[in-house]
Amino acid sequence: MKQKPHFATRPILTIGWRYLLRHPWQSALMILGITLGVAVVVAIDLANASASKAFDLSTEAVAGRATHQIVGGPNGLDERLYADLVRIGLNANLAPVISEYVYVPDLGSNLFQLLGLDPFGDAPFRNYLGDSRSGQNRQPIGNLVDFLTTPGAILISSGVAERNGLQDCLLESDACTMSMEVSGEAKPVSVVGFLQPTDDLSRRALDSLILADIATAQELTGRSGTIDRIDVLIPQDGREETEAQIKALLPTSVRLIPVEARSGTITEMTTAFRVNLTALSLLALVVGLFLIYNTMTFSVVQRRSLFGTLRCLGVTRREVFILVISEALAAGMIGAVLGIILGTILGQGAVRLVTQTINDLFFVVTVRGIQIPITSLIKGGLLGILATILSAIPPAWEAASVQPRVALSRSGLERKAQRAVYLAAGGGGLLLITGIGALLLPSQNLALSFIATFAVIIGFAMEAPLVTILLMKASTPSLGKVLGSLGRMAPRDVVNSLSRTSVAVAALMVAVSVTIGVSLMVSSFRYTVVAWLEQTLQGDIYISAPSLTSTQTSAPLDPRVIEHLENWSGTDQFFTLRSVNVDSPQGITHIAAASNTVMSSERDFLATSVPIANIPAQLDSGSVIISEPYANRMGISNPGGTIYLYTDSGVQEFPVIGIYYDYSSTQGTVLISLDTYRNFWQDETVTAAAIKLTPDKEIDAAVQELRESLAGEQRLIIRANQALRNEVLEVFDRTFAITSALQLLATIVAFIGVLSALLSVELERQRELGILRAVGLTRRQLWGLIMLETGLMGTVSGVLAMPTGYVLALILVYIINRRSFGWTLQMQVVGDPFILAVVIAVGAALIAGIIPALRMSRMMAADAIRFE
Amino acid sequence: MNKTLAYRILLAIIILGLVAAVISWVGKPEETSLQSSLVLAGQGDGSSRDVQGYTRAGGPIPFVFPDDFGPHPDYQTEWWYYTGNLTTPEGRHFGYQLTFFRRALLPPTEQLSRASDWATGQAYMAHFAISDSQSNQHYAFERLARGSAGIAGAQSDPYRVWLEDWEVNLIGASVYHLKAKQDGITIDLTLTDVKDPIPHGDQGYSQKGPEPGNASYYYSQSRLVSDGSVSVGAQTYPVSGLSWKDHEYSTSALSADQIGWDWFSIQLDNNTEIMVFQIRREDRSIDPYSSGSIIGADGGVVHLEASDFEIIVLDTWKSPNNQAIYPAGWRINIPTRAIQLVIDPHMANQEMNLSYAYWEGAVDVTGVVSGQDVNGNGYVEMTGYSGSMSGEF
Repeated sequence: MKQKPHFATRPILTIGWRYLLRHPWQSALMILGITLGVAVVVAIDLANASASKAFDLSTEAVAGRATHQIVGGPNGLDERLYADLVRIGLNANLAPVISEYVYVPDLGSNLFQLLGLDPFGDAPFRNYLGDSRSGQNRQPIGNLVDFLTTPGAILISSGVAERNGLQDCLLESDACTMSMEVSGEAKPVSVVGFLQPTDDLSRRALDSLILADIATAQELTGRSGTIDRIDVLIPQDGREETEAQIKALLPTSVRLIPVEARSGTITEMTTAFRVNLTALSLLALVVGLFLIYNTMTFSVVQRRSLFGTLRCLGVTRREVFILVISEALAAGMIGAVLGIILGTILGQGAVRLVTQTINDLFFVVTVRGIQIPITSLIKGGLLGILATILSAIPPAWEAASVQPRVALSRSGLERKAQRAVYLAAGGGGLLLITGIGALLLPSQNLALSFIATFAVIIGFAMEAPLVTILLMKASTPSLGKVLGSLGRMAPRDVVNSLSRTSVAVAALMVAVSVTIGVSLMVSSFRYTVVAWLEQTLQGDIYISAPSLTSTQTSAPLDPRVIEHLENWSGTDQFFTLRSVNVDSPQGITHIAAASNTVMSSERDFLATSVPIANIPAQLDSGSVIISEPYANRMGISNPGGTIYLYTDSGVQEFPVIGIYYDYSSTQGTVLISLDTYRNFWQDETVTAAAIKLTPDKEIDAAVQELRESLAGEQRLIIRANQALRNEVLEVFDRTFAITSALQLLATIVAFIGVLSALLSVELERQRELGILRAVGLTRRQLWGLIMLETGLMGTVSGVLAMPTGYVLALILVYIINRRSFGWTLQMQVVGDPFILAVVIAVGAALIAGIIPALRMSRMMAADAIRFE
Repeated sequence: MNKTLAYRILLAIIILGLVAAVISWVGKPEETSLQSSLVLAGQGDGSSRDVQGYTRAGGPIPFVFPDDFGPHPDYQTEWWYYTGNLTTPEGRHFGYQLTFFRRALLPPTEQLSRASDWATGQAYMAHFAISDSQSNQHYAFERLARGSAGIAGAQSDPYRVWLEDWEVNLIGASVYHLKAKQDGITIDLTLTDVKDPIPHGDQGYSQKGPEPGNASYYYSQSRLVSDGSVSVGAQTYPVSGLSWKDHEYSTSALSADQIGWDWFSIQLDNNTEIMVFQIRREDRSIDPYSSGSIIGADGGVVHLEASDFEIIVLDTWKSPNNQAIYPAGWRINIPTRAIQLVIDPHMANQEMNLSYAYWEGAVDVTGVVSGQDVNGNGYVEMTGYSGSMSGEF
């Protein structure tokens, strides 16, 4: 007769529960490990999700329901094109748009997107002025009289108005009048109405928007005669014919492009950034996994005799297995819930950091404070539970598979563990080789690269037991000489409880190696950027107009300013730059058009197809050089080919004669001579200027002098070379703030891991230590023994973390960074991270030893050995 | 360790994974649409905006053409109204309407000089409708546009009025091209004016109420011989017939108690045309300032006072759109001219259910003029049946 298993399972499960309850320290540590792992994953996922949501919202707030856009060159479109197109009667809705980032001091320090729309034709695209699709809510034009006819009339969201105490200003005359800063110039505007969002999502989108009539926007941005673009909504029916019809009508400098083509390029660029963050957050979870594995293994080891007894009493393997798994599940669930809560809190900070980085590196996200996407929470929670169960399977298997007789013998597991050392070392070596092999594959796939990186790290971690044994054996004689029998005891103890100590060592090693790897990567990166800045910033003084966004310097300089600078007495050499985004068949391309080709080509080149000395002359005759990220993005591995750009006279090809190192953007840059640029684009704008001073001028004094002499003109940013350099580095450091935060979290997780592992080890040795106390070991000696053991473990972690960290740094610098952002960095090995790593490892281990040492030294020897 | 357990665990993991996948799929944000309403400084008084600053129709000013074909921005409201009855060679009937409304946002004197070509003090609205009476379909469209940047506007010489691609323009002496297209409904006509512009009222001064200024300047081109095509969906029909153009401008022509009007344009086969309108008051009475014109074959005009004609409603029709009840069949008697006409809509539902609802439809006309049987077609406009028009015009 076969008994149904679940009759017996219930009382057995309570054994597990009792165990968890009776060992609150261990349970708490295990839960804490899961909690931290889940929290980091959730926080990063929240940040990523909200960054992309913010981007979508920003895009939608501006693009609305447009399917296409008609775009032109750097100066936008001739405004007459709109009337010409609408008078043809296309099977499409058209709406003219002007958009510009502006700053309104009276509305706080945030950046706003000024959106100039035609309220008459805009309804099919955006709902701000009433939803024409439903026919509801449409504003009688009579109500828009002020909006249309008052110069400088704007609409802001009611939320922004309230926050700035303007909610009642419509009732008083002139109370809503304020100043708006556009491209460094202040323009008077007056709020004539409030946009009242009807839901939370709209509120967030509208909070960074200022609406104006297209005529007002033209006047505010000084763009009379032109518009930025025409939004187009082509119905699905006959879309291709309509597209072809529109294309045929457009002048050569103007293009019709699908909306996705534009936003696609931008989102694509941030993907790499977000994948990197996700990988780092997963790393925290991996460290957490070690912890769970360690704790579960320990709890199994501790109860080997219990399991043996149960098995002798007829409990099946499957029931033992379920018992252990259910413990893990319980801990995993509690940890996941706590992790979600903590992750949400951490997420607030992460969202800010991620958004800041995206603003610095990629595009302007004006939308802030996104609500928490529930999917991120669920994802993180499930991941945590799943990971817990997975990492509990080996110990559960272990508990279930031992023979009842062997289980009752105490040394069974350790003997087995020592046998497994070579297995682990071999497996780890295999994993290492596979990981490195995968990394060397010429694939650009980021996910694969990260999986391979994880394989390498775990491969190293699996060497931990072997390295521990070797190091302990090597250190025994010398420690013995110095510290006597205690010195010999400590390393042997570490080896004897290898099943727990090696996992703790591995966990700590992973965390510390990540610290080393990431620190080395960041310092290499910084070193590279500093060297690059040195080379690139050759002027003494840089002048630009405040563009309000750090991603682009496209605010034009007033021609009078240029004239003044050129003729200024302190100017030895003067050069100008037009930085602008133009379209290409491959999407938006950033162009830097430089007046001084000699100076612009004094850079480090990855490759050139002509002698470096000839580059300036070649640039003058229409060739271009491209930055490394651009080359990577376009899949150009060698110069000598051509790139295509949409110019005012249609698509033109430009020969590429060199690829240069550049760290200013991940989007990449095409460097072209200003003359060439002006040949192909009708654009006299200059966005930045640099001066080389005559030898008699002192830089700071010159900056001061220029500031004073240009005070009456456009608002300008006049910076000395050093100041600009510092600013770039400031952005750089800000970018890595989140990396450091993640790194710190991973270290905390590892620290807790070590703490729990050591606690387990020492708790298990309670009786052994009790006997030692009984035979005369002093309290002080006991402290010494425990501290020596944990210190040894920390040292092993630190020693193993050094090569691992170095390899990780190599991978991050030469593979991950290149594949993610297209930057080749110069590896710069500095000692600090290594020293710091060992300090962290040993320090963490020593601190982790305090609790067990305290416990053991307080315990009476008799209590400790009561069971003997 | 038995296999089923391993399978179960595997299964549990797969299920967990699936649940995660489903959740993240279901949780994908649906396409969002940003919603907002608007609070404006001037909200609420849009319809009763001050008429101060605008010129009002104060007395007869003889029209000067071509100048008066164009816009009169000193007046708040203006429209160019084209209606017509067309038939295919097979006799299939279509009615059409293409109207351009101009509404000043500010009196010209208050408009500040602006740098942008897009800045404007004029809003344009246009209505386009086709009545396909054979299939009992009425298509009506509305567009709005600013009166600047070439998007919409009107000009006198050469005459042209347009809103985007809806347009009427002079293409030869007294010959016009009219075109409009939306959602597969197209009209393209050549209009030839066989009579000169006909001023209504006193030399075009058409009084609508007792208060000074409650009047408009109003003339018609009452017989525009029309040829061209109408398309409905994939089908294009060659058509010919007669069109009628009204051009009227004013500043707040209606008094507060005048809630709407019924307007009739009738083109008879004896080469004469009749225009009559009656203004309805809140108390359901007919305003004494209702009037009309009879246009002779030679272009001569006879002015009709309210007392000269009577309009008897024979039938009514209830709008399915807004439950308004419109008259739907009339007898018009002009005893002094021995005219008795019966007017029948070509189809019942020709309501323009747009920004504001009104009925504007093609009608069939039969009757007797001085003992002679006459036939013809016309257009009827009825406003104020689903909300007062006072203040709108």
